[in-house]
This record gives sequence, C-alpha cells and structure tokens, in this order.
Amino acid sequence: MAPVVQCMGLTKTYGRKIALNQVFLNLERGRIIGLLGPNGSGKTTLIKIMNGLLKPTAGEVLINGQRPGIDTKLRISYLPERTYLQPGMKVLELVQYFQDFYPDFRVDRAYDMLARLQIPPQERLKNLSKGTKEKVQLIMVMSRDADLYILDEPIAGVDPAARDYILHTIVSNYNRCGSILLSTHLISDVENILDEVVFIKYGSIVLQAGAEQIRQNERKSVDQFFREVFAC
Amino acid sequence: MLGKLMKYEWKATWKLLLSANALTLVMTGLARWMVYLMDKAPYSSDFEMVNFVAVMVLFTYVMSMFAVFVGTAIYLIYRFYTSTYGDQGYLLHTLPVDAHHIIIAKLLVSVLWVMMNSLIIYFSVIFLFAASTEVIKSMMDGLVNAIVYLGEEEISVFVVIMTIVAYIFNLFARVLRVGACISLGQLSSNHKLMLSFAWYIVIYIVESIFQGIYFAIRAAIHSQVSPLNYISNFGVDWETTLITGIFHCVIFYILIWYMMDRKLNLD
Repeated sequence: MAPVVQCMGLTKTYGRKIALNQVFLNLERGRIIGLLGPNGSGKTTLIKIMNGLLKPTAGEVLINGQRPGIDTKLRISYLPERTYLQPGMKVLELVQYFQDFYPDFRVDRAYDMLARLQIPPQERLKNLSKGTKEKVQLIMVMSRDADLYILDEPIAGVDPAARDYILHTIVSNYNRCGSILLSTHLISDVENILDEVVFIKYGSIVLQAGAEQIRQNERKSVDQFFREVFAC
Repeated sequence: MLGKLMKYEWKATWKLLLSANALTLVMTGLARWMVYLMDKAPYSSDFEMVNFVAVMVLFTYVMSMFAVFVGTAIYLIYRFYTSTYGDQGYLLHTLPVDAHHIIIAKLLVSVLWVMMNSLIIYFSVIFLFAASTEVIKSMMDGLVNAIVYLGEEEISVFVVIMTIVAYIFNLFARVLRVGACISLGQLSSNHKLMLSFAWYIVIYIVESIFQGIYFAIRAAIHSQVSPLNYISNFGVDWETTLITGIFHCVIFYILIWYMMDRKLNLD
C-alpha cells in the first residue's frame, strides 16, 4: 500500500526566505509520527501545504496518492495551531457543522467526549475558556475516522493536566488504520506515544527514524537526542 | 455542498443583519409617527416642542438608515475577510468543498443582504412620506408621469426588465469587486489589508480609464460629440450597464477563484 503522505522535493520560499527546502518524506499508515523541530523550523508550513492551505513554490505532496484537493480533505482531519471556530456558534451547532461536511464524522463519539469533559452542547463557543475551546476543536478533529490526522501543536499553551487529557484523547480515538502526524516542540510530553519521529531543521528533514530505534541506537530518550541535534 | 455552505453563511450573518434591519423598521415607525404629529402640530398648543422632537427623531432616522446601510456593507466585508482569509479560513479551506461553491455561497448571501437592505430602506422612505397626503399625491403623479413617459418613448417592458437585470448584475459586480480586492491583498505577506485597499484604487482607476475610452468610442460613432456630452445627452443605456456588469462579474469572480484555488496563502 502506498504511503499516506509522499513529499517530493517540497520547497516553499517567502521572498528570499526559505521555509522548506527540498523536503523528501514518506509517512506510512497506522503510525503515530512526531514532526519535531524548534520554532520556525518549517513544521507548520509543511502541514499547511499538506492541507492545501499553502501552495508550494516547487515540488509536490501527495496524500493517498493525490494532490491536495477535495478528495484529500475528505481523508485528512486537521487541527491547526489556532482557534478556527466561529465565536457565535453553539457547541452543538459545531457538531452539526462537522456532521454536515464530513461523512466520516462520528456524532456519538463527539457527544461522548464532550460529556466526559462536561462541556455543555448548548454553550456558545465565545463563552468557553481558551483551553476549553481548544479541547472542543480537538474533539471535533478526533471524532472523524480519517486516514490522516494532522495535529499542529495540540499541547502547546495548555497546562500539564490538560496535556495528558489531550494525548489520551488522541491515542484512544484515532482510526487505527490511519496515521497521526503530530507537530510539537514539547518532546518529553509526547515521546511515549510516538512510533516514529521526523526531525526538521531550517526547513530540511534531518532525521526520520522509529522512536524505539533512537532509544536503542543512541541509548537516550528522543527528548535528549532532540536537544543534542538542535542544540544552539 | 453549496446549499450547506449557504446555510451556514446565512446562519453566521442573520442575527446581526436582521437586527439592523429591524432597527430600520422601528425607526421608520417612530419617524412616521413624528411626521403625523408634525402634520397635526399647527393645531396643537405644544407646536414648538413637537416640532423639535420630530426634527430630532427624523434626523436620527436618517442617520440610522445611513448607519445600517454602511454598517451592513462593512460587516459583510469583515465577514468575508475573517471567514475566508482569517483564522476561520483554516476551517473553511479544509472543508471538502470546491472553491467555486465557497465563492458562490458567500456571493449569494451577501447580495441577498444588500438587496434586502436596499429594499427595506426604499420602502421605509415611501412608508414614511406616505404619512403626508400631499407627498402621496405627488408620488402618484410622478408614477403616472413615468408610465406616460415610458409609453410616449415606446420603451418596452423588455427594456424595463433588462434595466433591472443590468442593475442586479452590477450589484453582483460590486460585491465581487470587494472580494477580489481582499483576495488580491493576500499576495502580500505582511500588509494584506493595505494591499487590498491599493488594489481597490487601482481597479477603480483602470475601470474609469476603460469607461472613458468606451464612451469616447460610442460618442464618436453615434453623435460626434464629446464623451461627457454623450453621457449627459443620452444617459448610460441598459446594454452598456449590462455588458459592463457581466464583464466585471466574470473578471472579479475569476480573480477570487484564482486566488483561493491557486494562490491561497493563509498565515
């Protein structure tokens, strides 16, 4: 079976600044992959291109063998690093919105997660705290049976207790036949759930390896290895 | 998917804009009451007080009409910007829908609001002055004169209909022009809003130049007079209005689609 993501010479420039430089990357199915790199390394740019929110300057990305478009959007569940919710909407209207547009959206799963977090469906999003809004957004994303979940910094800016909940939600709700691409610079928090890691630095992929492989070969945690690779 | 997009576009806008239009209706009722009181005032002992209050209410009425009309336009522009190229654009552009559907949904809902807004203001003014019997009489006279004029000039129903169609196309073109400018503003990395304004000015200048050339040619062909005299003598016919309206619609639509589909650049 073809990889879920194939990047072939992907390059993105903003004027003279190179955000992505000749990225070649294949991501296999059924794995939780960490896209790890410091701020400004090109993680979000790569993710946006996969989602069709940015156009590459050169090269190509294929999702399920297709260029980003309607068909790939049907199969990708994307959590951006910002809040994209309409403040005036109620939580239940948001559930309806996702149900209307995504055939793979599971309403029962969404309501189940909302109930466990005690988020009232009748509540308007503008009345929720920033952290709760992020959780609602995550619930919407993880309530889909997608082929690829792309989560951009899902645990940045939340307290450690919320991080645990978020990671638990991710691991216990994703479609097992699909993959998760999880971008973060908080390695120690996510290390235990990762099958594979991709290190990105200055817009180039510097390493792609199994998390266990790194621990065995380097005799250190992924977090420690990351600190070595990206030492200033 | 077009229907669903329109449904959510409508849901996102109806509360605020319907409230604004409701305000228009309330102000109309209030203003009409004041006109009625002013009609009666000469026989009242509080003539000066009634007159003062009525003038204040009528002034507020006019200002509220203006505020609602301009406010609707500003809100629709803001809504287009934030939902398409702002944070909400992250959700919109990751929906499995065609860019054409996104544009058409936003366009139709915006045009619907602008038309509804215009009609409410139009009927509000008629209703207001209908309080005065003299004004009704002169309005009816004006209507009869217009019908007689149409008959004398042998202006057919077809021309009247085509004039309305031309007006509608121009309304679509105006909405699309704003959308195109905002979309073109996305070409800048740091000054998107400023570039949108710049594009609006550039497009306005280019349009004016082409209009000038067009009227110069028409004037040369038809009447051998200057373009300015041509317009003042013959007016702008419905054919010209319709052709320019359709032309603008096509150009601006393609620009928005191209920017959304080929040059999307969400920060």
